[in-house]
Amino acid sequence: MEDFENELRQALERRTAPPSLKRKVLEQRSRLRTQRLRVRTAMWQRLAASVALAAVLGGGFAWRNREERLKGEAARAQVLTALRITAHALNQMNEELASHGNAGQK
Amino acid sequence: MAHDWQPDFEQLVDEHQSMVFSLAWRMTGDRGLAEEIAQDVFLELDRHLGKIESPLHACFWLRRVTMSRSTDALRRRKVRGMDLWVEMDENHGARMEERASPLGARLEQLLSTLPEPQRAALVLRYQEDLTPEEIAATLNAPLATVKSHLQRGLKLLRAKAQDSLREYVRVKECTGGI
Repeated sequence: MEDFENELRQALERRTAPPSLKRKVLEQRSRLRTQRLRVRTAMWQRLAASVALAAVLGGGFAWRNREERLKGEAARAQVLTALRITAHALNQMNEELASHGNAGQK
Repeated sequence: MAHDWQPDFEQLVDEHQSMVFSLAWRMTGDRGLAEEIAQDVFLELDRHLGKIESPLHACFWLRRVTMSRSTDALRRRKVRGMDLWVEMDENHGARMEERASPLGARLEQLLSTLPEPQRAALVLRYQEDLTPEEIAATLNAPLATVKSHLQRGLKLLRAKAQDSLREYVRVKECTGGI
C-alpha cells in the first residue's frame, strides 16, 4: 500500500497555475474596486442631494411661517391704530358736547 | 491580540495560485473551470483580506474556500446533467503528455471518477499532505467521516488502478506489444 500511496503522492503534485491567472485576477480586482467606488460615490451624492432638498423645503416653510406672522402683526398694529384714532375722536366729541352743555345751562 | 502581519494580496496570489488551481482542477477535472474557480477564490480573498490573521490562516482559508467552490461547481454540473466522467476523461486525456509517468496520469484520471467526498479527502491528503484532522477542519466534516472517506477512497482507487493495469496488459498482449 505504501508504494501505491507514494505513486499517488507523485501523481498529485501541484500543477503550475496558468500564467494568465494572476493577470486576470488583478484586472478583475481593479475593475470591481472601481465599480464599488462608483456605487459608493453615487450613493453619497444621492444622500447629499436629499439633505439639500430637505434643507431648502424646511427653510421655505420657515420663511412662509415668518411672513404670515409678520402680516398678522402688521394687521394687529393697524387695528390698534384705528382703535386709538377712534377713541381720540370719541373723547374729543365728548369734550365738545360737555362744553356746549355747560354753556347752555348758563 | 493585535497581529503585526499585514496581508499582501499579490504576494498571496503568487504564493498560493498553484495550490488553488490544482485543488480546483483535481476536484472538477476541468482546466478551464478550475481557472474560473481560482479567480473567484482570489477575488473573494480580496473582499475578506481584513479578516486574514496570518500566513497559515490565509492558506487554510484558501483551501477551504477552493474546496467549497469546487464542490458547488460539481453539483451545478450534475444538476445540468452533464456527463462528468466523459468530460473529465477528455480533459485529462489532453494533459496526459505533460506527465512523466503514465501510471501517474492514469491515477489522476481515475481519481476524478471517485465520489466527490472521497476525492476531496484524497486530494487534500496526497496533494496537500494534510493530516486527517487538518482535512476534517478544512472540509468542516467529522474526523471519523474523513478517515472513512480516505480508507474507502484509497481502496477503490487502488482497485480501479489494478483493473486498469490488467486491461492495459491484456491489450498489449493482444496487439503483440504494438
